[in-house]
Amino acid sequence: MNPYGDVIQEHSRNPRNYGSLDAPDIRHEDENPFCGDRMRIELSLDADRRVSAARFQGDLCAIAKAAASVLTEMIHGMALERVREMDEQELLDALRAEIQPARRNCALLPLEVLRGGITKPVA
Amino acid sequence: MSHETFELIDRLRRTGRRAAMATLVRAHGTTPRKEGTKMFVGDDGGIFGSVTIGGCVDARVIERTAEVLGSAKPQLLQMQLGDDEAWEIGLTCGGSVEVFIEPLNDATLAMYETAHREWEAGRSTAIATVVAGDAIGSRSLVDPEERSTADVYVEVLRPPARLCVFGAGAVAIPLTTFARALGFQTIVIDGRARFASRERFPDANELRVGIASEIAGQLDLGANTPVVLVAHDYKIDVPVLKKALDSTTPYIGLLGSRKRGAAILQLLREDGVVEEELSRIRVPVGLDIGGETSAEIALSIVAEVVAVMRGRSGGAMMRRS
Repeated sequence: MNPYGDVIQEHSRNPRNYGSLDAPDIRHEDENPFCGDRMRIELSLDADRRVSAARFQGDLCAIAKAAASVLTEMIHGMALERVREMDEQELLDALRAEIQPARRNCALLPLEVLRGGITKPVA
Repeated sequence: MSHETFELIDRLRRTGRRAAMATLVRAHGTTPRKEGTKMFVGDDGGIFGSVTIGGCVDARVIERTAEVLGSAKPQLLQMQLGDDEAWEIGLTCGGSVEVFIEPLNDATLAMYETAHREWEAGRSTAIATVVAGDAIGSRSLVDPEERSTADVYVEVLRPPARLCVFGAGAVAIPLTTFARALGFQTIVIDGRARFASRERFPDANELRVGIASEIAGQLDLGANTPVVLVAHDYKIDVPVLKKALDSTTPYIGLLGSRKRGAAILQLLREDGVVEEELSRIRVPVGLDIGGETSAEIALSIVAEVVAVMRGRSGGAMMRRS
């Protein structure tokens, strides 16, 4: 049984960009206080403020892990200003699945953490 | 040395009460009162703390304490025990015991205070005490590996076991309370700050909020560090179990039913963990005491941890041969 579609299944089992960067320009960690999902996202930026590398790490459910994997692929090469403007629907569309309302927070946690990082550069 | 003993010594140092410390330094025979058992006696004959050596030995120690405190000189009390007396203190048959009784002076208290700091920092140390001869009562902190030809009692002070609890849910709270009473240092790890809070865990020695599997990789999960997973969440359980299996921890307990446990083990199997390693995971966790409430489940877990650390099965004492 695959309730969440091929994209979530594939990315949760084989997450892309899982790990960490040596000297990221942006690093942020946060949690979903209800379910215990917790993740950290790290970005490196090039001279034009574009994302040259993105990594994530965390103890995540299948949906959150897949969403983080998809998101880090989506933002690779993207200007930071454009990343800042990404809306939730863009990520949900990329997951190509019907996410139940109760699990939307799981799917959107990576975007929340990413936004938190953009507003708070690495110390 | 137990946590209680160190606390008692600290209390005596703070209050300045005159007291003697009696240590069982030799026992011939099989006994649950191990060498190193201590009791503390005040100048009025009162006993501090809950630990005594037992039976007729206590009475003779108390009797001799007045002399030791009066002269400020230690003594080695040697006792031949008849079968009845031996039975009282847990010896299987008549034999002999030697109890070293000494006044607790500032130098002794300071040395135990130093040893306590080492112990709390997780480092082993040892105190060597001359228990006979001209130098009776002299002592020093020593390397446990050192050897001596003098009549010296070496008391090795191993650091307390550290219980690592992953998941700050309902079972974790009584688990840390029970573990603390048993002398464990406890650390609770959870990704949620509002769960792993000091308010919820007054008895935990340490609270860590972060990515649990990452913290598991940073901790030294060695032979003195049992690991219990009570998150009841596969996204925590699977990565933390992988880290625990990479370590030499003597105990890995996983909260969950047999069915849930089988599913978690299957996920690990699919990740390449071999059967021999999987067999280290105790799921369902705990001894079979019929635990239903959080506290009862915690009790069954901590009892199993103690049994495993002591190399016992955890069965009923009356059925033990």
